Amino acid sequence: MSIQETRIVLKNAGKINPLSIDDYIRAGGYAGLRKALQMNPADVIDELMEAGLRGRGGAGFSTGMKQKFTSESCQRCPQRYVVVNADEGEPGTFKDRIIMEQDPHLYLEGTIIAAWAIQATQAYIYIRGEYHESIDKTQKAIEDAYAAGFLGKNILGSGFDLDVEIRLGAGSYLCGEELTMLESLEGKRGNPRIKPPFPAEKGVFGMPTLVNNVETLANAPLIIANGREWYRQFGTERSPGTKIFTISGQVNKPGHYEVPLGVPLQDLIDLAGGMRNGKKFKAALLGGAAGTFVDASMLGEKMTYDNLREKGATLGSGAIIVMAEGDPVYDILHNCLRFFRHESCGKCVPCRVGTTQLVKQADQLKSANGDRKKILEQMVLESQIMAGTSLCPLGQSPILPLESAAKYFSKELCTTHH
Amino acid sequence: MSTQEIIQQFEPKQHNLLHILHALQDAHPENYITEEALEAAAGHLGVTKSTVYGVARYYTMFSLKPRGKHIIRVCASPVCELLHVNDIIAALEEELSIKTGETTKDGLFTLELSECLGQCQEAPSMMINDKIFNNLTSARIREVIQSFKDEARK
Amino acid sequence: MNKQVTITIDNQKITAPEGANLLQVAKDNQVAIPHLCYHKKLTPTGACRLCIVKIEGQRGMVASCAVLVSEGMQVTAFDDELEEARKYLLDYLLSEHNEAFDGSYSDEFRELVHAYGLDKAENRRFPSIWKELGYPKDETSPVLSYDAAKCIKCFRCIKACDEVQGKNVLSFTNRGIISYIIGGFDKWGESECDGCGECIQLCPTGAIVEKPHRGEIHMDNGIRKVRTTCPYCGVGCQLELLVQDGKVVRSNGVEGVSPNDGRLCVKGRFGYDYVNHPDRLTKPLIKKDGKFEEASWDEALDLVANKFSEIKQKYGRKALAGYASAKTTNEDNYLFMKLVRTVFGNNNVDYCTRLCHASTVTAMLRSLGDGAGSNSIEDYETSDCMLVTGNNMIETHPVTATFVKYAAQRRDAKIIIIDPKWTPLVKDAHIWLQPRLGTDVALLNGMIRVIVEEDLIDRDFIEKRVEDGMEAYEALKALVGKYTPEYVEEVTGVPADLMQEAARIYAKAERPLIATGMGYSQQVTGTHNVFCLINMMLITGQIGREGAGLNPPRGQNNVQGVSDVGASPFTYPGYISVEDEENRRKVAKVWGVAPEELDGEKGLSTVEIMQAAYDGDIKGMYIMGENPMLTDPNLNHTEESIRKLEFLVVQDIFHTETTPYADVILPATAFAESEGTYVNSDRRVLRVRKAVGPPGEARQDWEIVAEIARRMGKPLGNYQHESDIWDEIARTAPIFAGISYDRLEHHGIQWPCPDKDHPGTATLFEERFNTPNGLGKLHPVDYAEQSERATDAYPLILNTGRILYQYHSSTMSRRNKALTDFANEAYVLMHPGDAENQGIINGQKVKIISRRGEIEDIVVKVSEEVLPGELFMPFHYSEAPVNKLTRDELDPYSKIAPFKLSAVKIEA
Repeated sequence: MSIQETRIVLKNAGKINPLSIDDYIRAGGYAGLRKALQMNPADVIDELMEAGLRGRGGAGFSTGMKQKFTSESCQRCPQRYVVVNADEGEPGTFKDRIIMEQDPHLYLEGTIIAAWAIQATQAYIYIRGEYHESIDKTQKAIEDAYAAGFLGKNILGSGFDLDVEIRLGAGSYLCGEELTMLESLEGKRGNPRIKPPFPAEKGVFGMPTLVNNVETLANAPLIIANGREWYRQFGTERSPGTKIFTISGQVNKPGHYEVPLGVPLQDLIDLAGGMRNGKKFKAALLGGAAGTFVDASMLGEKMTYDNLREKGATLGSGAIIVMAEGDPVYDILHNCLRFFRHESCGKCVPCRVGTTQLVKQADQLKSANGDRKKILEQMVLESQIMAGTSLCPLGQSPILPLESAAKYFSKELCTTHH
Repeated sequence: MSTQEIIQQFEPKQHNLLHILHALQDAHPENYITEEALEAAAGHLGVTKSTVYGVARYYTMFSLKPRGKHIIRVCASPVCELLHVNDIIAALEEELSIKTGETTKDGLFTLELSECLGQCQEAPSMMINDKIFNNLTSARIREVIQSFKDEARK
Repeated sequence: MNKQVTITIDNQKITAPEGANLLQVAKDNQVAIPHLCYHKKLTPTGACRLCIVKIEGQRGMVASCAVLVSEGMQVTAFDDELEEARKYLLDYLLSEHNEAFDGSYSDEFRELVHAYGLDKAENRRFPSIWKELGYPKDETSPVLSYDAAKCIKCFRCIKACDEVQGKNVLSFTNRGIISYIIGGFDKWGESECDGCGECIQLCPTGAIVEKPHRGEIHMDNGIRKVRTTCPYCGVGCQLELLVQDGKVVRSNGVEGVSPNDGRLCVKGRFGYDYVNHPDRLTKPLIKKDGKFEEASWDEALDLVANKFSEIKQKYGRKALAGYASAKTTNEDNYLFMKLVRTVFGNNNVDYCTRLCHASTVTAMLRSLGDGAGSNSIEDYETSDCMLVTGNNMIETHPVTATFVKYAAQRRDAKIIIIDPKWTPLVKDAHIWLQPRLGTDVALLNGMIRVIVEEDLIDRDFIEKRVEDGMEAYEALKALVGKYTPEYVEEVTGVPADLMQEAARIYAKAERPLIATGMGYSQQVTGTHNVFCLINMMLITGQIGREGAGLNPPRGQNNVQGVSDVGASPFTYPGYISVEDEENRRKVAKVWGVAPEELDGEKGLSTVEIMQAAYDGDIKGMYIMGENPMLTDPNLNHTEESIRKLEFLVVQDIFHTETTPYADVILPATAFAESEGTYVNSDRRVLRVRKAVGPPGEARQDWEIVAEIARRMGKPLGNYQHESDIWDEIARTAPIFAGISYDRLEHHGIQWPCPDKDHPGTATLFEERFNTPNGLGKLHPVDYAEQSERATDAYPLILNTGRILYQYHSSTMSRRNKALTDFANEAYVLMHPGDAENQGIINGQKVKIISRRGEIEDIVVKVSEEVLPGELFMPFHYSEAPVNKLTRDELDPYSKIAPFKLSAVKIEA
């Protein structure tokens, strides 16, 4: 008997016409915004903080805390920005796309609430250039929101002004990293900035900037409308709420599933219809390329940010790529390493050269003159150096699939391939 | 629209550069950005040539070389690889008689790989221009390519 | 000043300002954390990662270049793990790097590789992959080459170009391991690069290297480095010349020293080859039967001494005159001036200042009591408003312009440009006012009226610091009453709202600087133009503090110094009047001559000397390092004047347009062969040092001057070394009293410097103006229409000026391949509308005719950089001597010539 989904973020998905603002309002939409505008901005932040909402982009940082930093920094600055990270590019991840395509007003409403919370009068939604449907539907939502008085001047008579604009990406995974996204928003190459300063102090155009993920923002209207207690009934103490997991690969019903944080991995696979054609579970890659391999020993683990981190795994974006007996871990690992090489911007040495050298060594692992075990150990060591010295998360990522693959599948990786 | 007309739609601020490059590329029948267009963009924004060139060369969606009328972008993510996208790529290369990265002689198609298209629920996937094609099989590939060829003949 | 905090690095206690960059703090305290992408002048990049450290309480390793120090911070800079990681990083870099090394540059990366033992193959972990990455070389620039395989992608060149030089010409192409540096569309030579070479100077690996002399240079083998001062414009950039086999082979900017902090322009970096040019004069030449023949020094000097003595005897002491030189040292000019005053016995000594900033100086002297710039060049960087009038500073003072651009690009300072012609600084300007040529007085009076009407004046300042206070102000107010915005717009063509906004921004600014150039000074109304600037400045109180004042960037390396040391018909060293008896006595005493031997009547100025030659009053002339046959106005007239001289001596380093008219030509040393000092635009006395020996028998100017004086029977003094001359200058001129060579060893000193403990003066007029009563003086002046104006016969107005790559009469600049590769052809700019009216197309060659003369074969560049009805031509090219067209109608106050405005017509 498999578990059921708990759809709160996705409650409208597939049920209402995403192009109709009226449908959205009829389903209770914009109630969160109405309520937020009655509240002090600081109280809005407080509510999100107390609800325990954590960033759904992958890092899992407290959303309320991030908003608080942004709202309190640089009081002299003439402008503050909200940037919506809709540059979904983590392999195996499509949760933000689902929200944007099926209920765009929800995250737009969350954007407006965030802007009110930090008193930003301009928001940018940075959507990857390939997501045409998301772009079109978000654009329609924005236009309708303007027409309905949820955007523009004096929103709902509150005296609060906000403009929202879509900005397009153009093919760069790294631009989903928040400091890099700021550069891209300014019309530059996607090279990550160094910290400090943090976006909360000096973000886009040098002004305090809040960068939040689509799914994160989609939670905000629900929390404001229903309150922190309501929200905390889902999930665990330290990871409250739900999470949309995108389950792909060798399952019968690949797709997106919203469940409370804390359900075991096995349940999610069951939710996705179980293993395709009754094959035997071999591995899952959790969190995408910048994620970790797990084997069957992890099937019982609770899917929370903290529990997985303790077990050396990641929850990340919520991607679960399921592999069955016979599927080559090597190929998928190689794919991940090629991906990092391709997406490395080249700014810092360890990532630029390290990602290239790792692919070369992975090739050697296959063609294998010499001691494969030694090569694999060396690769892990290098990925540790990269993780320790790289400027941004990209160079810190290869260690995730590499070390976990080496941990669970060392034998397979070190034997002859065909 | 002329290059200038396209560019003039945008406020002369560097943050519009990606949008300008998208617009210039989309408007070109060969799906690329010409050097003249780059120069005009730099002039409009008041930035140096290398600024626009560097940006155009950074983002993979932009091309500075002529491409086919239809851009095929096959998803090369781990999910698609797991579900045998390599067979799909091989089928496309055979069907189009080109290698990945090349353009067909008739100028109709350019075959490229893409990072994860986020269609993993129905992998393997590809995009042709802005349209998504999922659950690909070799047979489906032939069908889709044929439909574009038929349309071109009309 | 930031709070001081104490941190520890590897158990060493260090005190530093809170928030300072950790890596820099470590460097400053001799903790040598390895790094490659960091440079003090640039914002931290965090690319090389070598500067990783561990900080107590923080997870893992962090790049110290991105850490700001705070109280109690405990840093580990060196331990096994950090060193191992650094080794990895260097190893990574090596694998994408071509290690071939030709010894022609210094290589910080190579040194680190050695330090970590990675020069030994057995210590490396990674296979070399650079060959498979397809890295290109870019050889398209005339002055530098870029090798992507030598590049470690540290961003230093990109940031040098962007953050230091404000040009942002460079970027990366591609991404990841195949990324590399580009200029333009991956062709450096077709980019906006102007060749300043800041990128070369900051490149840590030799990926970007100068082309000139590349093959000859071996850094480890007999290279000598000599620090000196740039011989081109008046910024006074500090250079380090690399000398190999007695030849200058490279020029770098000196880091960490004012005024340039390592920055140079294309001329400073690549303009030294003229020193070693085969055209150099190497022997004295005497004209015999119309032809120059080599002569011994004795023969030549005796001839010169005899001839001058003869003329003096025959026509009286007023029949001799001298042109001093803005190119040579203070010491050279001081003795030259002393020769004219004590040996010739008159005050007929002048130089090219009369052709450039004389009007500015005149106005400043009358209003403020000092003619020099009131502020430091560095002040531009922190100014919040810069009013740039008739000053194409990116081309004429490129290094000063870097500070101006920095303020605009990174500190939101507002630049207001007043110029009829587009200049590259317009790109960074907040407002560009484009008045018709010759209407500046109306424009400025209009701005003053806005300030008056909107009560943006500084009443307190007027009352305390301006002569006759509010009464003088009321007179100015009455005069400007008629300059309504509408009227001013009608006269100048400048939109009223822009003019008004400019006035408001200037008046309200906290640190506004005025930088005024030739466009303002080289007019018949030159002095009036500057009076108006000063009027506006005084009523708003925008002078007399750091960051606020009036600054005329000087065009030549030593144009400031030559005036300072008294090569002027009106003043002795230190700006004391020759007409004042008391002064005369003082000077005579220092010089050991009888006061009555000094002429108490002021002498003739540059253009007046030529006029007097024409009139037959001047019979003999001594020209040191000037080229009037190209740079004087109304050249046809100049030629007639020079021809009338009975005896002309020209002392120079090359044949010039003027030498053919000489009777004797004396070969002098160039800057790299000379010792002495220059004074730059911000009154900074800077050392000039001898790097190489002179060609042939050439001698330094002062030695020749002293020899002539001796042979005329009146030795100037007993000087063993240039410092002896300087010490005498310091005794003569109170502004230099505290300056000596040993104080100038490491950095320049700004005058006035009254005693040896005085640090020099960065800002003038803080307490009082230098006028007799200490007060500034308003000079309300009215706009008057120009006498020279467009007519049916001469329908266009011609403006003249300079370009970046050439310098003045181009005797020096044109003898550098690096510079001529950038620009080597005269042209005239013409508005597209005028071109269409006249049926002229871009690139066509035309004849330009004025009432004075004509020049032929000038290429037309059709350009919107000029207004309709106006033309622009650079004056550098001898084959296109634009001064055949200009006028010698002078500004009545300063005697400056109006190079900026001549009515002309064009014939196809």
